[in-house]
Amino acid sequence: MFLITIASLYLNIAISIYGVIAKPNLVKKFIALTIAQDSINTVAILMGYRIWRGAILQPPILLSWSPSPKDLQDFMNRAVDPLPQALVLTAIVIGLAVNVFLVSAILHLYRHFKTVDMDEISKLKRGAIVEETA
Amino acid sequence: MKLRNIFFIALIAFITFILLIPTLLGSIGVIPPKDVRDIAKLYLYLTYNQYNRSLWAASPEAVTAIVWDYRGLDTLYETMVFYTAIIAALMLYSEILGQRDVVGGIGLSFIVKRGFSIALLAIIAVGFSTVLHGMLTPGGGFQGGAIVAVAPVIALIVFSRKLFDYSKLSYRLLVALRSLALTGIVLVPLIPLTLTLGNAFIFQNQVKTLASFSYPSTIIDVPMGGSLLLLNLFEGIAVFTAFMLAFIVLLYSEDLSKKFLEGEDIGY
Repeated sequence: MFLITIASLYLNIAISIYGVIAKPNLVKKFIALTIAQDSINTVAILMGYRIWRGAILQPPILLSWSPSPKDLQDFMNRAVDPLPQALVLTAIVIGLAVNVFLVSAILHLYRHFKTVDMDEISKLKRGAIVEETA
Repeated sequence: MKLRNIFFIALIAFITFILLIPTLLGSIGVIPPKDVRDIAKLYLYLTYNQYNRSLWAASPEAVTAIVWDYRGLDTLYETMVFYTAIIAALMLYSEILGQRDVVGGIGLSFIVKRGFSIALLAIIAVGFSTVLHGMLTPGGGFQGGAIVAVAPVIALIVFSRKLFDYSKLSYRLLVALRSLALTGIVLVPLIPLTLTLGNAFIFQNQVKTLASFSYPSTIIDVPMGGSLLLLNLFEGIAVFTAFMLAFIVLLYSEDLSKKFLEGEDIGY
């Protein structure tokens, strides 16, 4: 059952990396990058999950504010792994900040060159360099 | 289809295949695992263990305890990355920062404006509730800050740019608020060291075996997580102001943002 999930997540990452490398449009590159970020985060979350057969699962939040030792033991045996969640939580926000930076850089390029196509931009740059050196 | 694309697709399929086989053979264990790892069990067992106060974080929410207590230094460095990324985005527009936009606007219709004014309060309330309850429910500074940051983006569209150009929440004030919040994040881990004249650990939240300093763990009978609450609050403000600054700069009209490009050579 998880074979399909894992395979599709890897495929998702592969396709988005293809998008980042092969697509000349910067906006498409950016969208592909965000898909890659989310897929990698999902893989991390999946690695911290646990198989639910025979156990009642719960998020890593203790519901009782004055827990007995038995409550703590139950919590330990039921909760999913909080470490990947903590990692992904910060990764999302850092990713968002980096995305904001990328968007502003793309916007900057668009305002400068009037296009977001990398092939076009490199042609324009080549033209400018040839002009300068001629 | 170009030959280049076919080559890329073949390469990506090959890489996926190479990655998938060791994963399925168990190189990173069974996914999802049958049981959580021992270190995760330790965190889960200790996070709100009142019987072992030298190792607890006073937070029933294990994720917040890990983010700001057990692995607080990691998060501090992540905050630095976050700070740098936003500063880099602002630097691209350094010449027009804080200026009023040349294009005014009237915003959307009266009904939308009034409707959004009510929703605005709700968004801010939900955001701050998420920040302040970070140690009890899923949430915290990052998430709450991101929720509140949605409000100025919608406000920019509904009320037009004029709202920001003439509001009291100016660029300078936002930068000052952000710097204050980041100073707070740096100071909270240092307070135990200063108050006990060095007899505490950096990022110490609750009492340890050799260091007796401890932030208050409860207010009345509600778990407050000690320093976690303060760190969440400062992080929330930092995230909110950072995104608001970034959006204000990104949504400058083209007329103004093109001004400082004039005279530059094409192609840099």
